[in-house]
Amino acid sequence: MAEAQLPVSVWSPGEDVVEVRRAPAPGAARSFTRAFLETLRGLKTTFARVIEGPVTIQYPEEKVPVYPRFRGRHRLHRFEESGLEKCVGCSLCAAACPADCIRVVAAENTPEHRVSAGERYAAVYEINLSRCIFCGYCEVACPFDAITMGHDYELSDYDRSDLIFTKEMLLAEPLERTPLRREDE
Amino acid sequence: MGRPQQKLISFTIDGRQVQAPENMMLADAAKLGDVEIPVFCYEPKLGQPVGACRMCLVEIEGIPKLQTGCSTPVKDGMVVHTRSERVQAAQHGVVEFLLLNHPLDCPVCDKGGECPLQDITFGWGGGVARTRELKRHFKKPVELSPLIAIDRERCILCYRCARFSQEVSEDHQLVLAERGSHSFISTFDSHPYISHFSGNIIELCPVGALTSIPYRFRARPWDIEGAGTVCTLCPAQCNVTLTVRNERVLRVLARENPAVDDGWLCDKGRFGYQSFHVDQRITQPLIRDGGALRAVPWEIALERAAGLLERARGQACALAGGSASNEEGYLLARLMREALASEAIDTLAAVPPRAAHMLARPQLQAAVADIEHADTVLVLGCELREEAPIIELRVRKGVRRNGVRLLVATPQRSALDAVAGLAVRCAQGGEGELAIALAGALQGAEAQEGAHAGAAERAGVTPADLRALAQALRSGGKDVVVIYGQRLLRTAAAAQALLDIARELKLEADRQEREEGRTCGLLGIPDGVSNARGLLESGLAPGYDPGYRPRQLPDPDAAPDAHAMAAGLAGGKLRLLYLLGADPLRCGLPEDAWQAALDSGAAVIAHADFITETIREHAQVVFPAESYAEKEGTVVHPDGRLQRLRPAIERQGEVRAGWWVIAELARRLDLDFGLLGSERSPGARALEAAGIIAEGLSATRASELLLASVAIYAGIDLEQIGGKGRRWQQSAGAGALPEPPSAPERERAAGTPEPLNAYRPLFDAPEAEYSPALRFLYRRASGRQPAPLRSEQAPGAPAERAGESNGELGARSELVAGLVIRHVAGAGEGREQR
Ligand code: SF4
Ligand code: SF4
Ligand code: SF4
Ligand code: SF4
Ligand code: FES
Repeated sequence: MAEAQLPVSVWSPGEDVVEVRRAPAPGAARSFTRAFLETLRGLKTTFARVIEGPVTIQYPEEKVPVYPRFRGRHRLHRFEESGLEKCVGCSLCAAACPADCIRVVAAENTPEHRVSAGERYAAVYEINLSRCIFCGYCEVACPFDAITMGHDYELSDYDRSDLIFTKEMLLAEPLERTPLRREDE
Repeated sequence: MGRPQQKLISFTIDGRQVQAPENMMLADAAKLGDVEIPVFCYEPKLGQPVGACRMCLVEIEGIPKLQTGCSTPVKDGMVVHTRSERVQAAQHGVVEFLLLNHPLDCPVCDKGGECPLQDITFGWGGGVARTRELKRHFKKPVELSPLIAIDRERCILCYRCARFSQEVSEDHQLVLAERGSHSFISTFDSHPYISHFSGNIIELCPVGALTSIPYRFRARPWDIEGAGTVCTLCPAQCNVTLTVRNERVLRVLARENPAVDDGWLCDKGRFGYQSFHVDQRITQPLIRDGGALRAVPWEIALERAAGLLERARGQACALAGGSASNEEGYLLARLMREALASEAIDTLAAVPPRAAHMLARPQLQAAVADIEHADTVLVLGCELREEAPIIELRVRKGVRRNGVRLLVATPQRSALDAVAGLAVRCAQGGEGELAIALAGALQGAEAQEGAHAGAAERAGVTPADLRALAQALRSGGKDVVVIYGQRLLRTAAAAQALLDIARELKLEADRQEREEGRTCGLLGIPDGVSNARGLLESGLAPGYDPGYRPRQLPDPDAAPDAHAMAAGLAGGKLRLLYLLGADPLRCGLPEDAWQAALDSGAAVIAHADFITETIREHAQVVFPAESYAEKEGTVVHPDGRLQRLRPAIERQGEVRAGWWVIAELARRLDLDFGLLGSERSPGARALEAAGIIAEGLSATRASELLLASVAIYAGIDLEQIGGKGRRWQQSAGAGALPEPPSAPERERAAGTPEPLNAYRPLFDAPEAEYSPALRFLYRRASGRQPAPLRSEQAPGAPAERAGESNGELGARSELVAGLVIRHVAGAGEGREQR
C-alpha cells in the first residue's frame, strides 16, 4: 500500500527478475578447436593477402580518384569566349542553401565596368566552406550554371576564417590535383 | 456626410457560406472565406477597379460569361466558383498572355522572390509556354526619374502606376503611350517623373517593371528582415517597414495604417533612410577643443556637458526638434526644471502651449481618417504637400472619391488649389489674422465690428474672399474639418478664433457621436517638428507640465518660449542652450534672432546627427543622435495618436540612446529618474555606464515612466499602442485634460521679432541633403549646394572594395530634372510619313 503512494517517477524494482541464460560450457575438444584451428583458419586469409603486395595509398603523395559526380569544393565559372562571369548575383543559390553558408551582394554592371553578362553581378560572393554540407543544392538552383561542385576535397586549414572562400578563389582555376576516376575503374 | 454604414450579406464561394459587407468587391469578399482570387490590376487604394488584367475571372452561377472578381460587387445569395474547369482554363490563358512579352529575367530582376507575377504564375498558371515568337523589346533599364528605374519589357500594363499618378497623387505625369501591344508606360515626352509621392509606384507595381534605384540589386527577400516603426521625418508620422540587411536600412516600405497613412509614403520618407548610413553622420561624442570639434570617449563628453550644465544652473534653456521622442522630451524637461531650475524649454515648432491647450479638447479633435468623410475641409494657413504630404493625399482622396468640398486659405498658392472649390489668399504671415477675420465673419456683423475689426485688412484678404469663405463654410454641411497650420497660433487670439469658428460651425462631437459616424473638428499641423504635439504633451513646453497642466510660476515671463529664448541668449540672460535634435537656424524660427543668440557666446550642448553650421561654429559638446530607425520610444501624431518607435537596426558607431544621455546627465546633476539600471548591482551599473553591457530594458521603463506621468495618457500601455497606435482622446485619460483656459494668450512682449511665417519645403532637410538619392531634390528645394559626401569624392569606387557598404553610395550620375527637347515638330508635320 505504502509503495502505491510513491510518486510515479520513483523507480522500484517491482517483480521483474533479470535472468541470464548461458550456453553449456564447451568441452575440452571444442575449446582446443576454437583456440588453435579456428585461429589458423583466419590467418589463412591474412597470409594469402601478403603475397598480393601492399594496397595502402600513400596519401597525400597519392590520391584516390573521385567519381565525376563527386561533390567537392565549388567552382564559379566564366564564359569561355568573353571571359565574363556567368554568375549574375541573383542569390538563388543562397536561397537554396540549407546550411545558409552563401553570401551574395549584388551590384550593377556599367559599360565601363562589366563583370557579368546580365544587368547585375555578384560584387561579393562568399561560401563558408566550414559550414557547407556539400549537398549541391546551390548547383541545382543556379539558373546560369555559374556555380558547380568541383572535385577538390582537401579543405583543411589552420583558421576557420580561411575557409570562407571568396569569389576570386572560387573563380580561380584550381591547381588540378584531384584525380578523376577513369571510366573502367 | 459622416462615415458610410455597412450591411452584411451572405454568399457562397467554392461551396463555403461566407458573410461579407454588401457591395464589397468579390476579390476582397473571397478572402473572408479564405479563398484567394488572383489579381494584378486590382488595388482598392487606387479607387474604382479598372478590370485591366483579367486575372481575377470567376464563374458566377446565373451569369453565362466569366466575370472579373475585382469589379463585381457581392450580392446576397451569389454562388461563385473560383476553381472550376472553365475558370482554370481562363486563368491559364491569362497567365500565358501576360507572359507573352514578359522577359522572365527573374534572376536579374529586383522583384524576384516578392513578385506577384511569379507567385500567380506558379499558383494559377498552366506551367508551359507555347510561343516561339520573339518578344517585344525595349531599352532597359531606363531611369524614369533619378529614383525609379523602369523596365518596360516587364510591364504587364496593369495601369496601377498610371492610376496612382492620375487619381491618387494627381500629378498627371504618368501615361500610357502608344496603342495595343505597343503600349508602354511613360511620362509625357519622357520628362523625369518627379513628384513628392513618386516612390509609391515602386510598391504598387505587381512586377519588376518599376524598381527603386537606391535599392537596386541591394538584397533579395531572403536576405532581409522587415522591421516596423514610424517615420518621424514630418508630422504625418507614416507607419513604415524598414528593410534591414546586416544592420543597414536598405529600403523603406509603407506599413498600411488606414488611420494614419492609408498605405502611402512620400519620397522623403521612402528614400531619406540613406542618411542613416553616410560617413558624415556623427557617430562619436565630440567636444570643442581649441576651436575645433574633436571626437572623445563618452565619459569625457558627459563629464564636460554635466560641468557646463552645472555652471549654467538657472540660466540654461533647451530646444527640441527633429525626431525627439516623448520620452526624451519628458526627461529633458525634468532635467531642465528639476536639476537646473530653468524654465526655458520649447520645441522648434514653438507652439504656444496655452493655445494648444485651448484646442486640445477631445470633442474638437478631428482624426486623419475624418478628412475623407467630411462634408467640407478647410485648409487654413498650411501647405500640406510640404508640411505633411500624406495628409494631402487624404484630402485629395476625400475630394475625388467622396465629394468632399475643399476650401483653401493660404498665403501662397497651394498645390491643393487645383482641386479646391474655393481658394483664398492672404498676406504672408496673415494666417492668424485670417482666422480671426473668418471667426468674425461667421459670427456676424456685430463681431466683425468689435473684437475682430481690422483683422481682415491685417490678414490681407479681400472682403469678397472672406465673405465667400464664410458662406462656403456656413453652407458646408454638418461635418467640417479645419486643417490649420499651427504656425498661425503665433498670432495671439488666433486660438480663440479657431474655437469660435468651431462653435459657429458646431464642430464639437463627443465620442459617441463620432462612433456613430460624425467626422468633424480641428486638426493642427505643427511647423516642421514631427513630434511637436507629443513633446508638448510630455511637458516640453514653456510653463506647462505634462498633460497640459499649467505650471504655477510667480511670473509669466519666467518661462520663455523659443522666441524669448533667442532674446534671452542674445541679451546674456541665458548662458547655455541644450539642443535635442534641433537646429534653430534650419527651421521656421527667425534666423537673425537665432544667429544673434548663437553668436552671444552661450555654451551649446547638442544631440545632432550631422555637423551643420550651428554645430560646427557653436557647439561645445555634441552627442551623436539616434536616427528614427535606431530609436525606441513613443511619438504623438498631430491627431493625438500615440505611436511606437521600435529600433530596426543597432545604433551606428558609438551612438547611444537619447533618453540614456539625458538620464545620465541628470544623474551627474543628482537627479535620478530610476532608469539607469537601478535594478542592477553597482558593478553591472558601472559596466552599463561604460557601454560594455546593454542597458537592460530601460527604454521600455522610460516609456512606462512617461505613460505613467502624463495624466491624459492614463490607461494606455505600450501593448495597446502596438503597431497601429492609439489616440489618447479615445482612452480613459481623455477625462484628465485640465479645463482649458478661456482667455487667449497674452500678446508677446513688444520687441521680440515676429517669426517669418513660411513653411520649409519638404526636401529642405538634412535627411534629403545627406541621402545621395535625394540630393537633387534638396538642391531644388533649398537652393543650396548640398554638403559633399565623402564617399562621393572617391569617384567610381568599385562596389567590391566597399563590399556591402558600397550600399547607397556607389557612383551614380545625378540626373537633374529638366526638359530635353528632342525634336521640334512644325505644324502639320506628322511623326512619320508613310
Ligand atoms: S553545397 Fe549545399 S550547403 Fe554547400 S553551399 Fe551549396 S547549397 Fe549550401
Ligand atoms: S551562382 Fe548562380 S544562383 Fe548563385 S548568385 Fe550566381 S547566378 Fe545566382
Ligand atoms: S509599370 Fe508596373 S504598375 Fe505600371 S502598368 Fe506596368 S506592371 Fe502595372
Ligand atoms: S509624409 Fe512625413 S511621415 Fe510620411 S513618409 Fe513622408 S516624411 Fe515620413
Ligand atoms: S484584377 Fe480584376 S481585371 Fe485585373
